Amino acid sequence: MPESNQRDLLGHPMTADERELLDLYRRLQALSARDDLPPCALMNARQAMVMLWNACTDLDLIFEEPERE
Amino acid sequence: MVNWPPYWNPKNETLPKEQLRALQLAKLQRCVARAWQTSPFHRRMYEAAGVRPESIQTLDDIRRLPFMTREDWMDNQADKPLFGDLVTRPRNEAIRYHLTSGTSGRQPLRVLDSRKDWSWIGEQWCYGFWGFGVRPTDTVFFAFSYGSFIGFWGAHYCAEKIGCLVLPSGNMTTEGRVKQLVEMEATVVCATPTYALRMAQVAEHMGIDVKRDGKVRRVIVSGEPAGSIPATKRLIEEMWGAKCGDTAGMTEIGTIMIFECDKQPGGTHIIEDHFIEEVLDPETGEPCDYGQRGERVVTSFGRGFIPLIRYRTKDLVMKVPHTHCSCGRTGDLYEGGILGRVDDMKLIRGTNVYPRAVEAILREHPEIEEFQIVLTRVDNIRDEITVQIELRPGFPDADWAGLQSRVGTDLADNHEGLRFNVERAAEGQLPRFELKAKRLQDLRNQ
Ligand SMILES: [Zn+2]
Repeated sequence: MPESNQRDLLGHPMTADERELLDLYRRLQALSARDDLPPCALMNARQAMVMLWNACTDLDLIFEEPERE
Repeated sequence: MVNWPPYWNPKNETLPKEQLRALQLAKLQRCVARAWQTSPFHRRMYEAAGVRPESIQTLDDIRRLPFMTREDWMDNQADKPLFGDLVTRPRNEAIRYHLTSGTSGRQPLRVLDSRKDWSWIGEQWCYGFWGFGVRPTDTVFFAFSYGSFIGFWGAHYCAEKIGCLVLPSGNMTTEGRVKQLVEMEATVVCATPTYALRMAQVAEHMGIDVKRDGKVRRVIVSGEPAGSIPATKRLIEEMWGAKCGDTAGMTEIGTIMIFECDKQPGGTHIIEDHFIEEVLDPETGEPCDYGQRGERVVTSFGRGFIPLIRYRTKDLVMKVPHTHCSCGRTGDLYEGGILGRVDDMKLIRGTNVYPRAVEAILREHPEIEEFQIVLTRVDNIRDEITVQIELRPGFPDADWAGLQSRVGTDLADNHEGLRFNVERAAEGQLPRFELKAKRLQDLRNQ
């Protein structure tokens, strides 16, 4: 489970929803970097990952390039 | 019915200014550091200017960074074809290729984007579409050619993301478009301002009254400054019976950076959590105050493949505080949207003439369907400005002399008495445009 003391880029504590979105993004990011998944899993994980990247970026939870897309 | 908030991103769109500035600084620092590490073009430029990523300690330090121009970008791509060394990643990691429209015979810019970049491009349009009232129940018609020009591509993905029913019309004729958007009960139409007018005019010729026969409640325009000219906007709103909202973007950033909100404050909000928009004196590079006209210089936080930091756009704008709008957004506004290009101004017999100002006057006369401005030089010395006018079908010949005189007087009154020649063009004689209308021909040096 995501840690409960996480803060956004502005130093505000993240809400439970924000922590969950960030956690989903990180998990999709980990899947996106794998090379042993079937194409149907990997490419859809990458597509989903960049969508979560938007939500997390818009909410100031991250500011980074995902690189493995 | 879901009770939607008016903002796509309520957290950032209403962020207090000092927090918005802190967010921009944090993003700028990381953007510059990444450009330094991954773009040889930027590294060279920063080393030559004696700046390093650590030089950016405050938002004002952005001024220590050198500008990037379109010419730098073109030269870099010519030196190192096809994409130059300003791209941060290998080409095989891109998913999309686009080109600038290549106006004025210039070499077009080539752009590459990653999967994430494209999702971000659509996201910026979401700020604009949602902000202008587009909702999942809308049916959105795109009068757009879906080619190598980036145009409304991002808006298409945005409308899908919002959950609208999307009607693409890539290869359709204007008549076919009119029929489809009426038949499919489109509630939102996206086009250039010129083409939004054109579609409504063609509908009239076809005996279709889009106001009565259609369901359109929003017209979203982009691609030309005219979207914020009050008379043009009013004409679009009257012809469509819908609110007309302006947006503006550029291929160099891949998406829009400003949009008009549902309150229609006479200007466009800057998406300040994804961009820094500076307004500078085009001659000196010094910052302009609120209310002063200057050149837009953009820094984008979203495009990973091509860092765009302090890019000189040559767009002429005037920034005003966010408090000029009552919607609650804290992003500042460009009053009147994009006012034109810094090099748009023409000098005719000592008087400054801006094509946008001429259009604003002509659009006050709804009898005018299309126009062209032609500049010529007589006897190698005297400049002449001629406005060619095509009238709406059915305009009585007997009324032409009166209109000609009124238009001539209006133009002169707004240009220190400068005499404009006003000529009537035959029906169908003047060019029509879907994208990037070219209504000024300067023939003086030919
Ligand atoms: Zn507003």
